Amino acid sequence: MVYFILKRLIQSVFVMLAVAFLAFSLFRFVGDPITQMTGVETSVADQERLREDLGLNDPFILQFGRFTGDMLQGDFGFSYRTRQPVAEMIATRIPATIELGVVALLISLLVGVPAGVFTALRPRGIATQAILMTTLVGVSIPTFVIGIMLIFIFGVQLGWLPTFGRGGTVQIGNWESSLFTIEGWRALLLPAITLGVYQLTLTMRLVRAEMMEVMRSDYIRFAMARGVPMRKLHYKHALANTMVPVITIIGLQFGGVIAFSIVTESVFQWPGMGLLFLESIRFVDIPVMGVYLVVIAFFFVLVNLIVDLLYVAIDPRLRVKDVS
Amino acid sequence: MTYRNLRRSALLGSALTFCAMGATAETLRWASTTDPQTMDPHAVNSAPVLSFLNNIYEGLVRRGQDMSIEPSLATSWEPLSDENGWRFTLRQDVTFQDGAAFTAEDVMFSYQRASDEAADVRSWFAPVSEVRVVDDYTIDFVTTAPNPLFPDSIANFMILDKDWAESNDAALPARDAENYATMNVNGTGPFTLSSRDPGVRTTLVPHEAWWDDASHNVTEAVFTPIGNAATGLAALLSGEIDFIQPIPLQDVSQVEGRDGFKVLEGEETRVIMFGFGHEHEALLYSSDVTDTNPFTDPLVRRAAAHAIDIASINRVLFRGKIEAANQLVPAGISGYSETNQNRPAYDPDLAKELLAEAGYPDGFSFGLKCTNDRYINDEALCRAAASMFAAVGLNAELTTGPVRDYWTQLREDDFDMYLLGWSPGTFDMEHPIRFLLHSQDDEKKLGSWNFGNYSNARVDELLPQIQQEIDPTARQSMIDEAVAITQEDVAYIPLYTQPLIWAAKDNIDLTQRADNFFMLRWVTVN
Repeated sequence: MVYFILKRLIQSVFVMLAVAFLAFSLFRFVGDPITQMTGVETSVADQERLREDLGLNDPFILQFGRFTGDMLQGDFGFSYRTRQPVAEMIATRIPATIELGVVALLISLLVGVPAGVFTALRPRGIATQAILMTTLVGVSIPTFVIGIMLIFIFGVQLGWLPTFGRGGTVQIGNWESSLFTIEGWRALLLPAITLGVYQLTLTMRLVRAEMMEVMRSDYIRFAMARGVPMRKLHYKHALANTMVPVITIIGLQFGGVIAFSIVTESVFQWPGMGLLFLESIRFVDIPVMGVYLVVIAFFFVLVNLIVDLLYVAIDPRLRVKDVS
Repeated sequence: MTYRNLRRSALLGSALTFCAMGATAETLRWASTTDPQTMDPHAVNSAPVLSFLNNIYEGLVRRGQDMSIEPSLATSWEPLSDENGWRFTLRQDVTFQDGAAFTAEDVMFSYQRASDEAADVRSWFAPVSEVRVVDDYTIDFVTTAPNPLFPDSIANFMILDKDWAESNDAALPARDAENYATMNVNGTGPFTLSSRDPGVRTTLVPHEAWWDDASHNVTEAVFTPIGNAATGLAALLSGEIDFIQPIPLQDVSQVEGRDGFKVLEGEETRVIMFGFGHEHEALLYSSDVTDTNPFTDPLVRRAAAHAIDIASINRVLFRGKIEAANQLVPAGISGYSETNQNRPAYDPDLAKELLAEAGYPDGFSFGLKCTNDRYINDEALCRAAASMFAAVGLNAELTTGPVRDYWTQLREDDFDMYLLGWSPGTFDMEHPIRFLLHSQDDEKKLGSWNFGNYSNARVDELLPQIQQEIDPTARQSMIDEAVAITQEDVAYIPLYTQPLIWAAKDNIDLTQRADNFFMLRWVTVN
């Protein structure tokens, strides 16, 4: 088990290196950081001096080597835009993104799984058709449109919820959390729903399909024939078997939720990593963009690892192999 | 108190304010699209930074509501008698926000800091050869040549305290890594920083010991950058912010249609124009004329100018909010040439005639390069212009892109015709002559934004004379000559002055200054 985790973590280093390499080779096409860092009156000579000082005239391989070399030593560099240490900038933004992603995931699971079970057990009910239709609409509308709609309905027209930002946050060590105040939850609700809608639909449809599949399997029929109570049958035997593939997909999707919360964060001015990344693109802030992408790659690797471990925990068949 | 503690207490404070719902009405919450990159007044010469920091720091002179120069940390200034330059008499009994006294040493220190290689504002001091402290409240700026506009040109040169900067290791602006002045301030201005969370929230409180009479009634000002225009509008309409700059043109009716909100409209000093590749030997993006560059012929440039229908652009794209421009600065800016107020009229027939005269009766195709995220409706403008050009036979191949790699492309001469907006940093006609009309000269740092390298020997000759002429009438006649030459040559096609559109709640009184700066000292919350 330890060997397995170690192996995956070592693999992750290579994944991150590959991502850094790809990202770096693309940065040249994003734009020129120098014109974003200096004012209009700055002379061409001063711009050139800055370019030289920042090593932007060096060959691509040299710049990439310097970036990775510094990173491996724990030096994440300084932002071109704000001159702050990149590690600190990203670290202060991580909690906002993680909390948003986790709450979005929870919403999608808490609503998606029961809805999936419900629609699977009553495949022809009117309620089922209504739910399926609604979620189809939900998944077809782009995230930013959902976000703007929610803002205008609940923020502007009804005035129930804040339209932007994190509201009240509490500092716990280095973690700035919005989960401990009412204001924080109020601010979190709309962005989390926006981010979670796609996940919710996916979860629900997946659970429904799997559940219907499982309900047709032999062991369920036998259990039914033996007179196992329906409640126990549905929620213990059938659902547990349904969840194995569901967890894989949901887990893998969660990496995407974190990585692609950019749109939601922009619409709600949610101060997470995605918003930081967006600002950094605008200013061609190469150090921040580089580190962000590497961090996201690490997230993906980590999430995949957790999914693998969960798999083992849920499915006893995999555990037997591991013991040997 | 550390910066984090400050931030927490500020958050708590604003949470309480929110609960009280207007009980403490003097809190002003405002938003803009870009967060100031730094709190260091010398590190970045950009509008978001200078606008924001003008609330905290002050210069020797400052600009009033109508952009006029007025005394600030200097009470008066006069030309030096025996050499070129200016003597500034400084205000006494001014204290910095940490309580330290303001003296000429601080000005001297700030000059050295702002003119250092690490500073982005050092170009302001290019004409300065020496600075001398005469006594505690007198300082001389010696210039290499007579420089009548020098006091005007340093309105954004902000003074910080020598001892504060030195004792906090911030004697030079941070360029690669942050320093103390990136996140902390100590100015003489009307407001001081109470908390800063970059990109999220910055809170200002009044500086109680400010030397001037405070005419505002703001007790706390909270700034939030909101990059997404729709989010910003929603934040205003839901009442979470009191004021936002700017709002998109298409949202004006949304705001006007609601009770309790108002739109503030004005003219910015930014003139939008088309530029040409004067020096290019051949067109880059043409499908029919590849061996020569028709735009080197003034007739062709004039034809292009006559093809543009500003009135239609104004009506269709700008809801009547733009002012047609005839030169590179709008009327009202010092040095504006009253004698050259005519712009090429919209006349497609004349344009076709001119093209025929130049040898292109059927027109030709060329590449037009534009930004799509820099100026108001820039992409739509270029689409409209391209179809107007096409109507006279000038088939523009339009390429639009984000501004972040636009300037690089222009600097690499990768265009046939391009879009440019220019706001004169010194609010004088000399500024665009220096940057846009003088021939490119990296050595003398002139013509650095003259991408197409328009070059006219007489204009080049006039620029230093304009810069040095003390007599206003003689100076103006030289400017008039330069403007006349460049209009005759159609060096650029000036299109219009960009509108300035802010929105606020009805109970907020504020001043919209033409440079798009937002000054908290003119705000009243009713």
